[in-house]
Amino acid sequence: MNYQELAGKLLHVAERLQKHGNKLEGDVIGKSAVKLATDIEQFDATLDGFLASRKSGELLLETLLRSPAAKKHLSLDLLRKALREVCSKRLKAEELVAAKREFVETVHEQDRAEAASKFLKHAFAEAAYVAPAGKEKGQLQKEFYALGRLSEDEYVTTIAKRTFGELRRLAATNGIRFTDKTTKPHLIKMIRRYARRLAANLPSAAA
Amino acid sequence: MSAKVLAFINFKGGVGKTACAVNIAATMAKLHDKKVLIVDLDPQSNSSLWLMRPDVWREHVAKGRRSTFEIFDDAIQGKDRFNFDESIIKGVTTWTGFIELPQLHLLPASVELLRVEDRIHELRAPAVYRILDRALKEYVDRYDYVFFDCPPNLYTTTKNAIFLSHSCVVPYVPDYLSLSGFQVLAEYIEELRGKYTDSDGERRHPNVGAVVVSHYRQTGNVFRLAINELEIMLAQLHDRHILESGAGLLQPFIRHCVRVAESTSEHLPVILYAPGCIGAQDYSDLTQNFLTHFQHRK
Repeated sequence: MNYQELAGKLLHVAERLQKHGNKLEGDVIGKSAVKLATDIEQFDATLDGFLASRKSGELLLETLLRSPAAKKHLSLDLLRKALREVCSKRLKAEELVAAKREFVETVHEQDRAEAASKFLKHAFAEAAYVAPAGKEKGQLQKEFYALGRLSEDEYVTTIAKRTFGELRRLAATNGIRFTDKTTKPHLIKMIRRYARRLAANLPSAAA
Repeated sequence: MSAKVLAFINFKGGVGKTACAVNIAATMAKLHDKKVLIVDLDPQSNSSLWLMRPDVWREHVAKGRRSTFEIFDDAIQGKDRFNFDESIIKGVTTWTGFIELPQLHLLPASVELLRVEDRIHELRAPAVYRILDRALKEYVDRYDYVFFDCPPNLYTTTKNAIFLSHSCVVPYVPDYLSLSGFQVLAEYIEELRGKYTDSDGERRHPNVGAVVVSHYRQTGNVFRLAINELEIMLAQLHDRHILESGAGLLQPFIRHCVRVAESTSEHLPVILYAPGCIGAQDYSDLTQNFLTHFQHRK
């Protein structure tokens, strides 16, 4: 059952009660009616609590603040920026939980929930965005593939022309992990190994 | 409303087709106010069982009724029993017994779909790949997005999904076995696309529009190298015009997350079950980028 269906059910019961209310009598239905009235009263109070302070945009703001994106991207810096831009105020809190509370309270005070939601939505989208790789990455990947197709002699000759810096860039771009201690000969070996594997794994893709 | 119709497809199993379809759809409904329909075409009924409790699902699709099987069964038997509105499940039932995500709809599958391939030869109509199109065409525009969760094969039901789709999304696990299958898949979809276009010039031209990576781990070289191999293959397939223009690898990659696996037992998408876990965070960012990627595509 969803909340719309519950609303429909309550309306249906209300209509029947209104129509037949005069004719109802006896312990069984009386007890049941008292129980229903108590439950409705309790539910009404819960609903009030839920809806209080949930004016336009506030529910969305709350959803956003509890969303997985908030868990990943919401920082003190972002809240500082948000409060400055949305409410023209400086954030006083120095830690995230308190800052969130201060942010929500200030936004409610100034009735700026919609603007705050818009700001956060945009900020989360920006944080999730990954810029497409530039042309250089494509070039280095092509070069890596080409190196894998060279014979051993051709590889030695070709790779000898590269500086250590170029080799490090080639390796890093193509997913080879190395450290500051990795030597040039070792890096050359790793590049050879993985470039050959790549060429073997993609023999016909360029057909 | 004009729906984007997307087929989640890969003939390799265990690559995250269902996980991606269910969790991207749920995130769209929860955080982006989108109305989404998931059409489960897999006899294993994984989307259905992810979003429905087994007893409810069994009762709903008893004898293949009110499921995607009924669409194919009707076509084979020349009947007209499938009723869209009676078949779809609206929202996800939480443990309180109340329904959340009312904007997320599911057309469930049933195990009887296994029989479709055995009986499809009984169908005399020439275009077996138009069965879904005929049954669902008038309903898809009620939604912002329609996702087909395809079985791990390229048989009749998958072909039907491709035919009705604007684009294909390929869930992918970064390893060599996925890589070797991906090229075959992309070429096969391209081949089908040619056939559809030949049979009817007004058809959509589905192609691979995006690749999403799951089961990703950041440790060591293994996955970084595998992603590099995939990127190079994508570039080569682009050079051959096998992929849609702009098709690419969507980020972030979905990291391995035990809470996502656990959410299947709770019959809830991860955004409802464990919204703070890394799986939910990854799906949240992926969905954002997914929407940006597909919103301007026809």
